Amino acid sequence: MLEIKDLHVQFNSRDHEAVSGVTLTIHDGEILGLVGESGSGKSVTAMSIAGLLPRKQCKLSGDVLLDGQDLLHAQRSELRRLHGRKIGVVFQEPMSSMDPLMRVGTQIGETLRIHQPDMPKEERHRLVYEAMRDVELPNPEETYRKYPHELSGGQQQRAMIAAAIVSRPSLLLLDEPTTALDVTIQAQILELLKKLNRETGISMLFISHNLNVVRKLCKRVAVMQKGKLVETGTTEDVFFRPQHPYTQKLIESIPTRHGKEVR
Amino acid sequence: MKYTIRRIWMLVVTMLIVSFMTFLAFELVSGDPAQTMLGTEATPEQLAALRHELGLDQPFFARYFRWLGGFFTGDLGSSYIYRQGVWGLIAPKLSLTLLLALISFILITVISIPLGVWSYRFVGGPFDWLRTTFNQLCMAVPPFFVGILLCWIFGIILHLFTPGDFPALRSDPGGALRHLLFASICLCIPRIAMTVRMMRSTVIGEMEKAYVRTAISRGNDRRQVLTRHVLKNSLTSTVTFLGQTMAELVGGSIVVEQVFGIPGLGRFLVSSISNRDYPVVQAIVVLLAFWVVLAGTIADLINQRVDPRLRLGGGAK
Repeated sequence: MLEIKDLHVQFNSRDHEAVSGVTLTIHDGEILGLVGESGSGKSVTAMSIAGLLPRKQCKLSGDVLLDGQDLLHAQRSELRRLHGRKIGVVFQEPMSSMDPLMRVGTQIGETLRIHQPDMPKEERHRLVYEAMRDVELPNPEETYRKYPHELSGGQQQRAMIAAAIVSRPSLLLLDEPTTALDVTIQAQILELLKKLNRETGISMLFISHNLNVVRKLCKRVAVMQKGKLVETGTTEDVFFRPQHPYTQKLIESIPTRHGKEVR
Repeated sequence: MKYTIRRIWMLVVTMLIVSFMTFLAFELVSGDPAQTMLGTEATPEQLAALRHELGLDQPFFARYFRWLGGFFTGDLGSSYIYRQGVWGLIAPKLSLTLLLALISFILITVISIPLGVWSYRFVGGPFDWLRTTFNQLCMAVPPFFVGILLCWIFGIILHLFTPGDFPALRSDPGGALRHLLFASICLCIPRIAMTVRMMRSTVIGEMEKAYVRTAISRGNDRRQVLTRHVLKNSLTSTVTFLGQTMAELVGGSIVVEQVFGIPGLGRFLVSSISNRDYPVVQAIVVLLAFWVVLAGTIADLINQRVDPRLRLGGGAK
C-alpha cells in the first residue's frame, strides 16, 4: 500500500543527506517497525511520507507512493486532501501536540470537519464518540468537553490516536508515540495499537528507538543508521539472526533481566 | 466565577494600598497646605483657622478615610489654586482624556490585530525588510512630531479641525470628536507599530509549536492553521499587551493633549504639579493608578475566558 523507492532527503542547512536512498514497503494491514538511534533519519522518513517537511528548506528525490499516488511530488493542495483522511499521524509529545485551547472532542473531530465539511454535526459527534470508544477513552461525553491539560498523558495520547483514526485513514504514522509515556501506559498504548490493527486492518509505520517496544508490536522491522536502511526483515530474523553489525550492536545494547542475553 | 470574584477583590485591595501610599506620600511631601495657601506673612491665628477649615487639625487616619470616601461622594477637597472642589475641576477633563484613550484603544485594536496577522505573511519574504523599516519608523518618530505634522496637514491646510481651539463637547460634539480623532491617530501610530510587532513575533513563536504540525498533519491549510489554532493561542499575550497599552495611553496622552490643545487630564496634571496644587495632583495620581490596575484586571479576566489553563487557580473545573 505504501512504497518508498530510493528516497533522498537533504536539508539545505546540512552538508550530508538526512535520508539517503531508503527503499521500503508497507503492506496492507501491516505494522512495520522502523528503528534506529536519534538522528538516523527515521523521523525524517516518516515526515516526508506525511508531507510535513518544509519543502523550501530541503531537497527531496525518489518516490513515495500511497496506493499508487505520488506523495513526494504532489501539489500542496493535493497533499492536504490526503492529510488526516488517508494518512493519520501521531507524534511523540501528546501534550504539546494538542492545541491547548481547543476542546479534546473538537480536536478529535477536526479531520472530519476539514475533509467532510458538509457532514451534519450529529454525525460528526457520533463518529468522534466511536473513535473515542475505539481508543478506550473513559466517559466519552465528559472527555469530549475537556481541554488537553485536564487529561493524563496516556489519555492525551489516546485522544491523539483517536484524532488520527477518526476519518478511518488507511495508514497511521506513529513517530515515537510511547517514548514520552511511562512504562505501564506504554504497554497499554501498544496493546491498543495492536487491537486497532487487528480490528480495522489499518496499516502502521511505527517509529521507535526502543527495540523492545518494536518487538512487541511489529512483525517486520527496518533498521536505519545515518540515513541509510541497513537491514529489513521479519522481527524474528532481525532479532535472532541480525546480519548487519550495527543491528547486532543495537540488539546487544538492549538491557536484559539478570544480565542474560535476549536470545 | 470564583476567579472573577477573587480578581475583583484583589483589585479593591490594590486600590486601597495605592490610595493609602499616595495619601501618605503627599502627607510627607506637601508640608503644611495652610502655610502654602496663606504665605509666610500669615499669623498663627489665621493658620489655625484655615487648618480647621480644611480639616487638617484632625488625625491622619480620619483625614485619610474622609478623603477616600471622597472618591465615592465626589468630595476630594478643594484646589489650593482655584479654590474650587477638586472633583468638579477634574471631572470634565477626565472624561476628555478617557474619551481620547478609548478612541485610541479602539483604533489600535481594530487596526493592529488584523495587521499583525497579515504581516506574518511577509516573514522571510523579499519585502520583510521594508515592513520592518516602516514599523521601526512608526515606533521611532515621537508623537509630538507626528502631532505637529497632523495639525499642519489636517488643521492648517485642510481645515478639518482647529489646532489649539478645542470645541466644547456639549455644544459641538462632532467637532470635538473630530479633534479627538486626529489626536488619537497621533497617539496610536507608535503603539499600533508596537502591537503589530508583538503580534508578529507571537504568531511566529506559535507557528513553531508542535500543535501546528499536528494541525497541518490533519489537512489544515496555512490560513486554517492561523484562524483555527494560532490566532486563539496568540490572543492571551495580545490581550495582556493591549491591557498595558490601555494603561499607558492615559499617560501618553499628556504630550498629545498639549500639542492638540485638548483641555484633558494630562495637561491639567502638568500645570497642577508646577503649581504645587497637591489635592488635585493627589486625586489625579490615584485615578491614573486605578486606571492602570483596572486595565490589568480586565485583561486578566479576558485571558482567563480565553485560556482554560488560567482557570485552574480559581477552582472552576
